[in-house]
Amino acid sequence: MNKESRLKATINQRLTELGERERLKELLRAKLTECGWKDQMKAHCKEVIREKGLEHVTVEDLVVEITPKGRALVPDSVKKELLQRIRAFLAQHAA
Amino acid sequence: MKMEDMPLSGPDNTKLEALVNDIYSELVEDACLGLCFEVHRAVKQGYFFLDETDQESMKEFEIVDQPGVDIFGQVYNQWKNKECECPNCKRLIAASRFAPHLEKCLGMGRNSSRIANRRLASNNNMSKSESDQEDNDDLNDNDWSYGAEKRAKKRKSDKSQTSPRRSKTLKHKNGELGSGISADPYKYNYNAGINYEMLGPDEVQSFLTTQCGVISEHTKKMCTRSQRCPQHTDEQRMAVRVFLLGPSAPVLPEADSVAVPESFDIPDGQALMSRLQWEDSPEISPSDSASSKASTNHSDSRRPKKKKPRPSLGLNSGGGIGSLSGGGGGGSSQISERPLPPPPPQRLCIPNIRKLKNTVTPTREMVAGAVKNCL
Repeated sequence: MNKESRLKATINQRLTELGERERLKELLRAKLTECGWKDQMKAHCKEVIREKGLEHVTVEDLVVEITPKGRALVPDSVKKELLQRIRAFLAQHAA
Repeated sequence: MKMEDMPLSGPDNTKLEALVNDIYSELVEDACLGLCFEVHRAVKQGYFFLDETDQESMKEFEIVDQPGVDIFGQVYNQWKNKECECPNCKRLIAASRFAPHLEKCLGMGRNSSRIANRRLASNNNMSKSESDQEDNDDLNDNDWSYGAEKRAKKRKSDKSQTSPRRSKTLKHKNGELGSGISADPYKYNYNAGINYEMLGPDEVQSFLTTQCGVISEHTKKMCTRSQRCPQHTDEQRMAVRVFLLGPSAPVLPEADSVAVPESFDIPDGQALMSRLQWEDSPEISPSDSASSKASTNHSDSRRPKKKKPRPSLGLNSGGGIGSLSGGGGGGSSQISERPLPPPPPQRLCIPNIRKLKNTVTPTREMVAGAVKNCL
């Protein structure tokens, strides 16, 4: 387990150091907007807000409502592409 | 560790995959959080619901998703198959071809060759007015019809009124009889003419039976064109024959009964020339030529433009003076009107547009012609 966590830590560090993490983030954001995921989520947000009342919405409310749905709504193609990129990175830079 | 190796090492592989998935989840959560913050800020700042209006407007601008229409509900190819009537030529043109057609039809677009059309139009207008000015003996040897040259000449001369070259070329022409002015592309080739002094009487006679023979007042050469050449009138041809062969000259196919001796006075050349010049000098206004024909009128109205070079002209009285349009063109009343019957109306052949494009004629010809017209 130690090894594993050490490995994980190393890789995370590597990701951040080399700027790959940022690149992946941007890539994901762009893809999600492109495929309409963002608009879907916004619509859902509207419902939540209307439910909770405009004045009393908190970040926590939104996070709790949005994140599970968000994770589920990511299109497969986007997911696959990202996984592939991560794997490629690992393959290139892992020990 | 390479990708190819991964399937082999089982536990590592799963761990790696788990790792990959972990990283992926982190990224997705990051994105979701980002969205939440964005929305929350928009809500608190009050701009989250700005893109929403009342239900009515929302319905109006809803995105349309039908086949054959765009998202606004507009049809794309609606006007493609319709036909419009052209206001100019009254034809039915397809809508997509309508704009280019108008461009050509009205002669206003960039690709519409409007210069050529304009010239065409002005040629048609001017061909009648210039028919009386074809008696210019200077153009013995050119290949183009005279009218085209004159019109092109006029244009060129109008352009280059003050060019220093102009006076040079005029003097040049006056001074040199018969030398080919080949250096100047705007000059005619005078070499092809024949000087009547060089021919014997028999030769002259035979020459005159086949060819025009009208003698240019400037170069003393005889026109080598056919007997029906449009530059010279039959009167001129008769006059030449009388002059060269005596009063018993053979009759031309269309001989005129013009008073011949008056029409061709070489001995009186100088007097005539001075008369011409003198007559020419006052500014002639179209209104003065009330007695002249309309054609003369046209030439008169154009004359003020060419007034500049005239005093420098050494006009030789040449053949064909008498065959000008009758009546005193404009202004000068001191010379008694010549008792010439008006010549038969002569019409130029319509110049070839192609030739017209290439012609640039010197001013002197037009001046001489116009001068003769006033007699």
